[in-house]
Amino acid sequence: MEVGQMQRQWVDYTKSLFLEGLLDGQFLQLQQLQDESNPDFVVEVVSLFFDDSEKLLNDITRALEQPSVDFKKIGAHVHQFKGSSSSVGAQRVKNGCIPFRNFCEEQNIEGCIRCLQQLKQEYYLVKNKLETLFAMEQQIVAAGGSIPMLELSF
Amino acid sequence: MEVMKSLSDVADSKQQQEQQQQQQHFHVLAVDDSVIDRKLLERLLKGSSYKVTCVDSGDEALKYLGLIDHDDQKPTDSSSLTSPYPQQSSSEQEGSKVINLIMTDYCMPGMSGYDLLKRVKGSSWKDIPVVVMSSENVPSRINMCLEEGAEEFLLKPLQISDLKKLQPYLLKTLDQPSSSIDSSNNLVVEEIGDDDHDGQSKINEEINKGSVMNNTNASSISKRKAVTTETSDRIPKMKGLVVA
Repeated sequence: MEVGQMQRQWVDYTKSLFLEGLLDGQFLQLQQLQDESNPDFVVEVVSLFFDDSEKLLNDITRALEQPSVDFKKIGAHVHQFKGSSSSVGAQRVKNGCIPFRNFCEEQNIEGCIRCLQQLKQEYYLVKNKLETLFAMEQQIVAAGGSIPMLELSF
Repeated sequence: MEVMKSLSDVADSKQQQEQQQQQQHFHVLAVDDSVIDRKLLERLLKGSSYKVTCVDSGDEALKYLGLIDHDDQKPTDSSSLTSPYPQQSSSEQEGSKVINLIMTDYCMPGMSGYDLLKRVKGSSWKDIPVVVMSSENVPSRINMCLEEGAEEFLLKPLQISDLKKLQPYLLKTLDQPSSSIDSSNNLVVEEIGDDDHDGQSKINEEINKGSVMNNTNASSISKRKAVTTETSDRIPKMKGLVVA
């Protein structure tokens, strides 16, 4: 595949992530912060997000398994997750945190468990998609091309 | 007439040059418990040629400012103190430690941004502008911070367009009147979009060099700043390039 074709594929794939609501404008902000002096900025931030998220999901899972559930602690984790997902533009993950926090406040364990399931789904989905996107970027760069800049508005 | 005009032009451009040079030494202390937000903030600020120090808690911030043991310390002799950080007796600079702006997250485990704000405003660093950031738009919280002396309250996630809101506070620390700011030309700040609600252009693409910055405001979030204290910050959209 030649570079132009790869780039077009990348553009289409990226657009689909926005159209499906997986990513929002904040992700574009990250892309705009990537330049020659910070060529891997997006991957770096998203990698931090992945690491942070795995830990948060583990902590939340364990907390829900305790005989006496600490809803306050879980709420704090969810708040953190909401913040980090918002900062990288992972829109559906961010949105999944909102009902979760409400259930924490209500101390509704069933609701929390359901939300955690949902959150895990959304997280692994966006993780998967972003990893695919980054792989495409690597291919473009390896072929001597550069990653396109998108201008999108909704 | 002509001579007068060109002399003042020269004076202006010299002032602009000076401002630019000084901006490159602006030092921001950023406080946030989220590693992702610290990274984002650091990149945003460095993109405007500011020097950034990131800490992950209010306690670390106080340590950095030399406030950990005493609130209003005005030391004559620091030899009795065990803190490894030098004490400051002047608000803005002493020796090598200059801080022009403090940016802090509101919600942090342990000491909150509000608590940190109070400590700073009650210390020898009280003249340093403090900006509080939060992911939540809670009017009572915002008012509380502003009343306690915060210069600005910004909503997270921070964006490139938020940086221009910081300029007036930074330039104030140079003892320059803010009316001399001509932000479209002087400052090394990337202008990508604005709080522009006049409608967006249709989707278009650019398959081009990665380093070209496009003018875009894709995230049509309605309010970047929770409290609008002045309408003069609605600066018209400008194009700009980051000098990295």
